[in-house]
Amino acid sequence: MWHKISWRLLKHELRRGELTIMAAAIVLSVTAVLSLALFTDRLQAGLTERSAEFLAADRVLSSRREVSEDWISRAQDEGLQTAQRVVFNSMAFAGEQLALVDVKAVSDGYPLRGELRVADQPYAQDRLAQGLPAAGEAWVAAALFQELQLEVGDTIEIGDSDFRVTRVLTYEPDVGFSVFTDSPNVLINYSELAATGLIQPGSRVRFNVLYAGDAAALDAYEEWLRPQLNDDTHNWRSVEDGDSPLARSLRRAERFMLLASLLGVVLAATAVAVAAQRYCQRNYDVVAIFKTMGAQRSQIQKIFILHLLLLTTFSIGVGVVLGWLIQSQVVDLVAKYFDVNLPAGSGRGYLLAIGTGLVSAVMFTLYPLLRLVGIPPLRVLNRQLTGTDRLRWLHWVASGGTIYLLLWLYSQQWLLSTALFVGGALAAVLLLLVGRLFIRASRQAGMQAGSAWRLAMAGLQRRAQANSVQMLSFSTAIMLLLLVLALRHELLADWQRQLPDDAPNYFLVNVAQGDVEQLQQRFAERNVDADDMYPIVPGRMTAVNGVPVVDEVSKEERESDAKVQSEQREGFGRELSLTWRDTLPPNNEVVAGEWWGDNAEPQVSIESEVAERMRVGVGDELEFNIGGEVFTVPITSVREVNWGSLQPNFFMIFNTSTLEDFPATYISSFNLPEERKKELYELFKPFPQVSLIDLDAIMDQLREVIEQVSVAILFVLILVIVAGILVLLAQVQASLEEREKELVILRTLGAPAKLLSRAVTYEFVILGAISGLIATLAMELSLYILQTQVFELGATFHWRFWLVGPLAGAVIVGLMGRLACARLIRRNTAQLIRRLA
Amino acid sequence: MLIQTTRLKKDVETSEGILHILQPTDLQITAGETVAIVGASGSGKSTLLSLLAGLDLASAGNVSIDNVNLGDLDEEQRAKVRADKIGFIFQSFLLIPSLTALENVMLPAELAGNKDAEKQAGELLTKVGLGDRLTHYPNQLSGGEQQRVAIARAFVGTPKILFADEPTGNLDAATGHKVEDLLFQMNEESGTTLVMVTHDSELAERCQRVLRMEAGRLTEVERDVA
Repeated sequence: MWHKISWRLLKHELRRGELTIMAAAIVLSVTAVLSLALFTDRLQAGLTERSAEFLAADRVLSSRREVSEDWISRAQDEGLQTAQRVVFNSMAFAGEQLALVDVKAVSDGYPLRGELRVADQPYAQDRLAQGLPAAGEAWVAAALFQELQLEVGDTIEIGDSDFRVTRVLTYEPDVGFSVFTDSPNVLINYSELAATGLIQPGSRVRFNVLYAGDAAALDAYEEWLRPQLNDDTHNWRSVEDGDSPLARSLRRAERFMLLASLLGVVLAATAVAVAAQRYCQRNYDVVAIFKTMGAQRSQIQKIFILHLLLLTTFSIGVGVVLGWLIQSQVVDLVAKYFDVNLPAGSGRGYLLAIGTGLVSAVMFTLYPLLRLVGIPPLRVLNRQLTGTDRLRWLHWVASGGTIYLLLWLYSQQWLLSTALFVGGALAAVLLLLVGRLFIRASRQAGMQAGSAWRLAMAGLQRRAQANSVQMLSFSTAIMLLLLVLALRHELLADWQRQLPDDAPNYFLVNVAQGDVEQLQQRFAERNVDADDMYPIVPGRMTAVNGVPVVDEVSKEERESDAKVQSEQREGFGRELSLTWRDTLPPNNEVVAGEWWGDNAEPQVSIESEVAERMRVGVGDELEFNIGGEVFTVPITSVREVNWGSLQPNFFMIFNTSTLEDFPATYISSFNLPEERKKELYELFKPFPQVSLIDLDAIMDQLREVIEQVSVAILFVLILVIVAGILVLLAQVQASLEEREKELVILRTLGAPAKLLSRAVTYEFVILGAISGLIATLAMELSLYILQTQVFELGATFHWRFWLVGPLAGAVIVGLMGRLACARLIRRNTAQLIRRLA
Repeated sequence: MLIQTTRLKKDVETSEGILHILQPTDLQITAGETVAIVGASGSGKSTLLSLLAGLDLASAGNVSIDNVNLGDLDEEQRAKVRADKIGFIFQSFLLIPSLTALENVMLPAELAGNKDAEKQAGELLTKVGLGDRLTHYPNQLSGGEQQRVAIARAFVGTPKILFADEPTGNLDAATGHKVEDLLFQMNEESGTTLVMVTHDSELAERCQRVLRMEAGRLTEVERDVA
């Protein structure tokens, strides 16, 4: 019998719209979680796929020595694709000319991710490469054609082997961002490597194994491989590692999406909590009637649990369908506008979404339901009776536990969940206290106001306790909205700073000292936007505080001389690009010591990460060897460098007087729009030795990734806004019900509709404004922590939000209150009284 | 004796001390009697009603229905007594707003596990003149109609006792009279014991016995039997 009653109640209540808010809250939380999870899942897979191109693989094992065949065949056994890449420096000879080149020997399958592009002539239109250079052939970067005065078809000599140059290399996915210091690339087949005779024990060679395949197989392989790796010899990399602008953007975007999604989930869950409480309250009378009619407690329990389960199931169903539709629409949009097909998501999203709906519906209704079932039958005669309040602590435990559980379920990071939860709980207590204080203060102000205001203030004061709880949920919703909004703005602005429209898209290297002036003049004449010219002096760092550094020591040697090793530092093992400058370059920040200004004493400024690795700081003496001349300089400053900026960056910068007498070549970067590309040849004709590096392809890729992430962020923002509005709506509805009785009495006593409507509106306006103000304060604090601790951004003050927060709070909450109240006031008094009877 | 109380008493603790809402009361009502309890507002009529119906617990003394002492029963057992033997009519009707007239009337029968609930409810609604309003929700019915639904609901389980709390208090005089007539007519037909709280002396006059409640003290009103 009871299930019939339960079903009947649900059917009618759904039809009459009484369960709208509760159902909408569950639908929204499921929709939000599902679409977020599915979309971020797909987006992340898409981004990882894209960014894997920068590695030419999903994972790379880099080694100083040849990698064991067993390791490679193990990967192949696990279904992974593999390719080998060996990189080393060597001299290349062509006729009388010689140049230092980076030789890259690659095996079949390379690149596993991304594409290799070639052209038939330097600066000609390029195309996708088919296969790899055949035996005896080499593909060569355009810069080398100038340097060695090559033509396609000529032969170059590397080590013991001759190679015929058959193609111009225009794009290698794994070329990286450190272009200015690298020599031009020569690509040969892996099978030719041994014949060059250049791979000898102790020679400076990087052996790389590239891996690609599905994530689970990669993880399994990584787990197997990790314990066997030696930190000195091996380096295991994935896209998220490293300090490239892309990796940083991705990391930030990921963190943002995760955080915003978590906030969205919390908001949706809050809406369920508010709605659940209201759902139970409006059933108090029903339960009292049931009991009076002789219903057993167990019958009532069954009726309402089933009722709730049916409602939850129905809402989850709607939510799943909606969530799926929304994310597929967004994915279609992404596909349409960015020409990207996102890979399919996993089933995790569905589990998460359904779990969220179930958990929040069950846990948030637990206490209200207990209270509902405990409603005494005597309520039929005395409407004030609301049952026992003894188990209120259970409510806090269940709600808090649920939110924590959801945070953890979604993020799978207990540290992040705990931090957010504890921070949120502290903020909630603070908000409650501040809210009460505000309400008390507003009463003083209200004493002199007009009658609608006075009524509003009196109302606020009378419901101070209920209001401060409402204010808590208003503030939380507004704060989370502002937070996501501000954070999105910060992230986009930061990316925009990193990649302005006029960001340099070409690098110039190897400009002779004598050509600098002429080149700058040509740039000016042709209106080309070029950066400063940076002099480059190649040199080695040889000692720290008089102790020589060790360059490229094999592990055996080190072990045999442990004593030396403990005192000696490891050097760079290569020549560094040294430069001099009077002024601190942009995107550099002195973190220790001082920049020299006019001081002409010999000195050097060192990049902070290098300083840390070399265990040196301000005051330490570094010895350099430049072309045989050895000198010593003290470190006078340590710089933090933004490696994400597309400009020449340096480990070591000297003051002018220290280096200016050494012969130098110059590098620079400039921006030339796509349509003016044809001018390049004319521009550089007089400077045949200058090498040009095209960054367009890399930058395009970066822009595309950022655009995709921006869309994703917008999508998350919209969902969070919808969730926030739902919370506000649920709360306004709930609080209006509390005001209903009072309104009816005032109305019956003849208070004009206008006065009541104004009084209610003002009350909500004040509540909204105060909540908005508190929300802004909380947002500013949270943002400060997030910016500095999570997103590696500088802290900023958001004065606009101090205006927007209270204003938006007042307008939105006031408007909702007015609308809800208008519906009530439209009824005639007799109807109202009957409603309350 | 269908309803019997001995030294039944109800006190309530307030911040200003103990309030004696119901002084020790002895009362016997036999099956089939109709009894009115009259008195001013706040005199304790409704409190007595709630104790007689097992909706509330006494501070001292006993209530027994059909020789079962309600004080010995727990909440669940008292609910069972109500389901089996008692019907209610309230001043504010107390229909469930999300159920139709028919479903409201079916409810007590269904809770008692009666398989014929729908048929019985339909018949009763027809009897109270609402045969064409079965699928209407309470807010689509007038006050008088709602109270007629409540009357039908009160009789659906063929209860032995009917408790009515100001059954016409929310209705205008003309509608009130019609509802009264219906109530007494149905009561007579089913031979139910009626205990009614009212401050309407005219309505009280229609009952066989009238009890007056004054400041928690119950006295029998002597009447001339014409």
